[in-house]
Order: sequence, then C-alpha cells, then structure tokens
Amino acid sequence: MAEKKVATKKDTEPKIGVYVCHCGSNIAGTVDVPQVVEFAKGLPAVAIAREYKFMCSDPGQSMIKDDIKQLGLNRVVVASCSPLLHEPTFRHAIQEAGLNPYLFEMANIREHCSWTTEDHGEATEKAKALVSAAVKRIYLHQPLEVREVPVNPNTLIVGGGIAGIQAALEIADAGHKVYLVEKDPSIGGHMIQFDKTFPTLDCSACILTPKMTSAGSHPNIELMTYSEVEEIAGFIGSFKAKIRKKAKFVDESKCNGCGVCIEKCPWKADSEFDLGLSQRKAIYTPFPQAVPNIPVIDKESCAYFLKGKCRACEKFCEREAIDFEQQDKIVEIDVGNIIITTGYDPFDPTPIIKYGYGKFPNVVTGLEFERICNSVGPTGGKIVLKDGSEPKSIAIIHCVGSRDENYHKYCSRVCCMYALKYSHLIKEKTKADVYQMYIDMRCFGKGYEEFYQRLSDEGVTFIRGKPAEVTDRAISEEEKGKLIVVGEDSLLGTVIRVPVDMVILCIALEARADAKNVAQLFSISQGADAFFIERHPKLDPVATMTDGVFIAGCCQGPKDIPDTVAQASAAAARVLALISKGKVELEATVAVIDEEKCSGCRICNLLCPYNAIDFIEEEEVSRINDALCKGCGTCVAACPSAAITHKHFTTEEIMAEIEGVLV
Amino acid sequence: MNHEPKIVGFLCNWCSYAAADLAGTSRRKYAPNVRVIRVMCSGRVEPTFILKAFQLGADGVLVCG
Repeated sequence: MAEKKVATKKDTEPKIGVYVCHCGSNIAGTVDVPQVVEFAKGLPAVAIAREYKFMCSDPGQSMIKDDIKQLGLNRVVVASCSPLLHEPTFRHAIQEAGLNPYLFEMANIREHCSWTTEDHGEATEKAKALVSAAVKRIYLHQPLEVREVPVNPNTLIVGGGIAGIQAALEIADAGHKVYLVEKDPSIGGHMIQFDKTFPTLDCSACILTPKMTSAGSHPNIELMTYSEVEEIAGFIGSFKAKIRKKAKFVDESKCNGCGVCIEKCPWKADSEFDLGLSQRKAIYTPFPQAVPNIPVIDKESCAYFLKGKCRACEKFCEREAIDFEQQDKIVEIDVGNIIITTGYDPFDPTPIIKYGYGKFPNVVTGLEFERICNSVGPTGGKIVLKDGSEPKSIAIIHCVGSRDENYHKYCSRVCCMYALKYSHLIKEKTKADVYQMYIDMRCFGKGYEEFYQRLSDEGVTFIRGKPAEVTDRAISEEEKGKLIVVGEDSLLGTVIRVPVDMVILCIALEARADAKNVAQLFSISQGADAFFIERHPKLDPVATMTDGVFIAGCCQGPKDIPDTVAQASAAAARVLALISKGKVELEATVAVIDEEKCSGCRICNLLCPYNAIDFIEEEEVSRINDALCKGCGTCVAACPSAAITHKHFTTEEIMAEIEGVLV
Repeated sequence: MNHEPKIVGFLCNWCSYAAADLAGTSRRKYAPNVRVIRVMCSGRVEPTFILKAFQLGADGVLVCG
C-alpha cells in the first residue's frame, strides 16, 4: 500500500519543460537567451530547458508536444511574448499533446522585458526573474475543467448608422434575431446627412435608404429607435440588456406616418438633422425618409409640455396615436453577442478662434456644407451664402482639429476626400473659384487617387500650407467685404492672402462625447484618442477585450464608408460564427467558496462586481454562481476567513510567483 | 551608491497589464527594476502579498488597476 502511494506521487510529481523564444531578434537581440536557458535548467523540477527562434511556429509547438510525449513533461513554461497574445496558442498545443491547458504558464520576456530594456545584461537578469517566477508558480498549478455555455442566437447592435444597419442586415439575413438600438428617432446615422459619397459621387441617401427600409421591415430585426442601453449584465453567450425606450408620445402601433400632426404643429425648434440651419416642428421626424416613419414629440419645444395647452397634433390625428401620458419604458432582452457601432462626433471648430467659426456666418463646417448641398437641405441644394447670394469663391481648409497637437494628433482619414468632393459639387452647381488648402493630400483608397487627378483637371486651385487665420480685415480694394484666408504657401515659401466669400472647415471626426460611459457600460477600453480599442490592431480588428462584444465603424477610429461597411460585415461574421457553433468555452479560472470555512459574513456578496455571489439563507453560507463569476478574485482577497479559492490564481501560486520574481 | 531597488508590480490583466504590453509594443524604455505579476483584477491583491514581497527583499510594491 505504502509503495503504491509513493508510485502515485512520483507520477504526479511536477516535471517542467521551459522553452525560451528568440522571437527572431525581438527577444534574442537584447536578452542573452542561452544564459536564460542555462538558468532555467538549474531551477527545481525543471526536466528540460530549450530555446528556439519562434516558439509559436509549427516546429516550435511540435518541439513542446514531442517533449511532453517523450520525456513525460506535465508542466510547460514558455518564455516569449505577452500571454494576452499567445497564451491560447500554447494552451491549445499542450492540450493536443494530452495535457490539461491550465498546466501552462507564460513568462512575458518580450513586451515587459526585451522591448523596454536598453541594457542587455539587465534585460537578461529580468528575463531570468520572470522565468523563475513562472517556474515557481507552475509547480503548484492544478488541472482545471473548461466550462462550456450555450450561445443565445440573438444579437444586440448599438447604433443605427451605416455600420449598425449593415451588421444587422448580415445577421438577420442569416436567419437570426437582431435588436438594433438607436438613440435618435430614426436610423441612418451621419451617412444619411451626407449629400454625395466620394469618389463615385453616388447620392448618399439613394444608396442608404434601401438598406434602412430593409432593416426597418426585416422580420428578424427589431428596431428600437429613440432608445438607449442602460445596463448590461452577463457574459458572452448570455448577456442581459436593459434598454430605455424613451417616450415618443406617439403610439407606434397606431401611427401610420401620415404626417398630419407635423403639418398642424404650430411650434418650431432648430433641426438637429440640419445642424440648426433649418427648423423642424415640435412633433417631428428628423428627415422625410426616416425609418421608422413615426414622429416623436420633443418635450423641450412642445407647447403642451411647456405651457399646458395646444394638443393640435392630438386633435388632427385620425388614428388617435398621440399619447401625452406615455412614459419611458424599460425593456429587458437576452442576447448572446453585442456589436457596438456608435459612430463619431464631428469636431466643434469654435475653439479655433483664428478660423472665425461662429463669428463669420459664411465660415461653415464640412457637415453643414453637406446639408447646404443636399437637395432636401435648408437651401434646397443651392450653394448660397447666408444672404442668399451665390459665392464667387470658396476656400476649403483641411485638417481642422486633425493632425493638430492642440486638438487631435490623428488624421481623420476622410477629410481630403470629402474636400475634393466639395470641389466637384461647387464646380457643378456654381461658377465659384475653389481653393483647397491642404497639408498633405491623402488619397489612399480604391479610386481615390484617380478622383484627385480628375479634380485637378477641373480647375481647382491647390495650395499647400495650413492657413494661419480667416479674417475680414481688408488691406486692399479687392479684399473688401470678403473673408481673407491668410497663410503660407509652403511650396512657394510665400505668405498668401486669398479673398473668398465662403470658407469650409474640414473638421475632424472625434470620439463620441459619451464614449467613456459606453466603454464602461460594455466593459471595453478606449485609446488615448478616446476611440474604442480593438483586441489586436492588425489581426483582430473587430473584437474587443470583452468576449462577445464587437466594435465596427467610426467608434473604433475615423474611417470612410467602405471601411465601415467592411468592418461591420466582419463583426457580423464573427457573431455568426459564434451563433453557428452554438457554444463557447469559458475560462475555468473562477472563485469557489469552501462552505466549511464560510462564516456567512456576506462581505463578498456586496463586493462582487458581477453579482455572482448569493447568500444561501438556510445554510448560512455564500455560494458563487460560476456562470456569472468572471474570476477577478476580489472576493478572495476580501474574505476574512480565507474561505475562497481563486482557481489558477491561488494565494499559494501568487506567493510562489512573488518569491520567483525576487530571486 | 550602486543600489538598484527591487520593485514588485501587481498589474490588472485588463488595464495596466495590457498597458505594460503596449509600452513594450511602442518600444518605450524604462528601468528594468519592476517585476510584474499578473492578477485578474487589482482587487485580488491581498495585504499579505505586499508584506510577503517586502519580507523577501522588495524595496517597493506597485499595485496598478
């Protein structure tokens, strides 16, 4: 009996393999890899230590698998890049060789060591410390069971611009339910505000409205306009979302969109859709082709809500759809995946005082110019000045708020192209001279360079240099009554003064003002520029660090319509892949309570950020719902009875790691 | 005066650990004295971890999350 026990112990005695990666010269260029290997060989329980050029490559992985089989390794440490990059790769590899995936540990000697340390000797010492920590820790690792949960086939898409619409249609066409949530009264986003699209000059509404109508009438798409997501709980495969449907004061089931209420309403407010360049009624649809074609009452400008009388809309509505008593409604939905397509905000150029936006009426933003050009816009599509006359000359200033240390360092990627488009529209509709004032022309997309060439031949004047100011102080007869754009022509090296009638500012695309709230709500991250961060900048452009939450379109960064549509389809494809697989594997690294030790103090109940811990009244103990537990370990640290174990991050494992890094 | 302090850093997997990765990807150089231990949340860090680090000779402990 005693002998048998010894034999068993010998079988489970840790036998560790350590593999140090060169990563080409990324690691080996700084860290003395052979020295780290020699060091690893001397660590307790290490049966073998090896080095290889690229551990993540097929031969690298095979090396590990062969050693597991031939030498009987039961623990594997790879010292290479970040576990956030390749932990899944190596876990999968050792699993293929018959080991439990949790009997693996990674030492991050690239991102945290070779790339950040100048001195080769110091980098090598740090790499040794990190390897030693991984070895000490893995000695204590236990095999864990991977949990599988089913994927709810419904999808929540937040934001009804072109990205949201595209993703919704892709998923709905594949036969799955989509909830498309939009905060405005209609879907369409910024794209429906545009006049034409570059470089093909398609009418924006003409190509978008068919998609909007399909989304509005699709049997698998439930449109939730004038709604916002308030709360998200759960995890990939089974999220629960609470959505606030703001009161429209119009009963959607009765309204047929006849528009009589809008016609009869005597009260007006600035139109958000036309950026304040025109007015709309207090009961309104933002634009004629709105989807759904159901008006909403704006409480802020409705006479009944402000003064207690009017109700003209109610009187004239034959279908009795007006309901002044309507309240906001909270709707709860269950979904398996979420796609965030919340778009961008246009940059407000008012702070750049030198360009005179807000001071000179004929200095307009690009988006305002889109509306001015649009045949259903405030001027009926005529390019006119504020006094109604046709401009004789127009300056288009690029990079307003973009590529500017004071505002946004990034390039907004679309401005060069929409500026060229404006030139064409101006030339088509007026006889005005057009001046493009640019820093660099960036015409990178398909057909974009050709469009630039075409515009160059249409008689547009290109001036290289960022203007210093727009002023009305004339110094010559020809400048009188004009706006003078002052700057340097950096190709000629001279100061120039260009008198024009109208100035268009090509404003930056920036992250939504409420992007921070959205990021917190969905547990995703923002970059320094406030746009949402994708899981990997090259290889995983639509996933986020939160499983089951995807991003597409301008909420991830400025991009044009083709890129937005491509990204939206990519996000939809990712969601469809999860739906068709039907189940996902969840991390096994959850917390468990030893009920023998639990004193029932309930401290953990309140601390858990995921509400995963319940108190069982009858037994006077707390219990963790492991489907909800995300394995953060907060409860473990807080438990006064040390009754909670964090699998894969046990107190002993972390203590061993501390010991390891301090060699 | 050749003293090189030893610092143990407890970094949250989701924010500061990823940020330390980003520092690497961006090739930012910093002193090699910080040795990082990844936790799934800075809430996982127990006071005893910090004491243990000091006991084993650390000169400083960094908790980021």
